[in-house]
Amino acid sequence: MNVLLTILGMWAVTLASRFLGLSLGGLRLPPFWLAFLRFVPISVFAALVVPDVANAPDALRRTLAALLCALLIWRTRQLALGILGGFAGYWALRWLGLG
Amino acid sequence: MSLSPTASFRAGWLAMLPIWLGVAPFAVAYAVTARAAHLSLFETQLMSLTVFAGASQFAAAGLFGQGVGAASIVATTFLLNVRHVLYGLSLAQQLPIHGLRRLVAAQFLTDEAYGVTVSAAPKSAGGLNLGFLLGAELSLYVVWNLFTLLGSLVGSVIPDPKAVGADVVFPLAFLGLLVPMLRGRLELLVAATSGVLAWAVSRVSPGGVTVLVAGVGGALLGAALSRTTGAPASPENEA
Repeated sequence: MNVLLTILGMWAVTLASRFLGLSLGGLRLPPFWLAFLRFVPISVFAALVVPDVANAPDALRRTLAALLCALLIWRTRQLALGILGGFAGYWALRWLGLG
Repeated sequence: MSLSPTASFRAGWLAMLPIWLGVAPFAVAYAVTARAAHLSLFETQLMSLTVFAGASQFAAAGLFGQGVGAASIVATTFLLNVRHVLYGLSLAQQLPIHGLRRLVAAQFLTDEAYGVTVSAAPKSAGGLNLGFLLGAELSLYVVWNLFTLLGSLVGSVIPDPKAVGADVVFPLAFLGLLVPMLRGRLELLVAATSGVLAWAVSRVSPGGVTVLVAGVGGALLGAALSRTTGAPASPENEA
C-alpha cells in the first residue's frame, strides 16, 4: 500500500511539472524571456550531453564517439546516421581496447 | 504544407526510432532494479505507466531498495522532474494546446520527445503540431512500457545496459539534436557555457537538478547577450 501511494505521489509531482509549463503558453512574455526560451533547447541539450560523457569511466572513448557523431550530423544532418555512427565508433574503440 | 493528424503522428513516431536503441535497454534495467528492490511486477509496471520518467524511476527503485520513506522519494522525483516546466513553456510558445489534450500531452512529455519535436518537427512536412508531438511522445511510452514488462519477466538473464554501452546512445542523441542548432557564435557560447556549468554542478547534485540549473543558466546568458549586443532575439538570425 505504501509503495502504491508513493508511486501515485511521484506521478502527481511529475505530471504537475509537465502540465504547468504547457499551461503557461498564453503568457505575453517580454522579449528577454522569449529569447530565453529560444535558447532553452541549446542550453538543455548541452547540459544533457557533457556530464554524461565527461563523468563516465571511459570518458575519452565517449568523447571520441561524440565527436564522430557531431561530425556526421554536421555533414549529413541525419540524426540516425550520427547516433549509429557514434555508437559504432564507440564499439570499434572498445573492441580495439582504445580510449 | 499541412499533413493529416495521422500522418503527423506517424512522422513523430518514426522520428523517435533511433532513440529506441537507448531507451529499450534502460527500461529493462529499470525493471530489474525495481524487482531487486522487491517491488511487485504490478508496481514496477505501474510506475512506468504513470510516472514515465526514466531517471526518477531508477532513483525511486534504488531508494525503495534502501527502505527510504515515501516523502523523500516523492521529493527526489519532484527535484529530478521539475525541468519539465521548462520544456512545457518552450513548447507552449510555439504550440498552444488546450483542455484535455494538454493533459494528454503533459502526461507523455519527456526530454527525448521534447528534443525531437522542437528540432525535427519544424522541418517535417506538417510542421510543429500536436500530432507530431503525441506521435513522438507515445512512441517512447510504448517502448518504455513494453521493455519494462520484458525486464520484469526475463530481466535477470539480460546483460546490464551500461556493460554493453547502450547508455552512450543518450548523449549521442542529444548531441545530434544540438549540432544543427549551433548556427552562430552566440549559440556555441551558450552551449559551451551550459555544458561546463552542467559538468560542474553534476559533481555535487543529481542529474535532474544539473539539467535545470545549467539549462536555465545557459538560456539566461543567451538572452542577456542577445539583448546587450543588440542582436536579434531569434537564434535563427544569429549566424
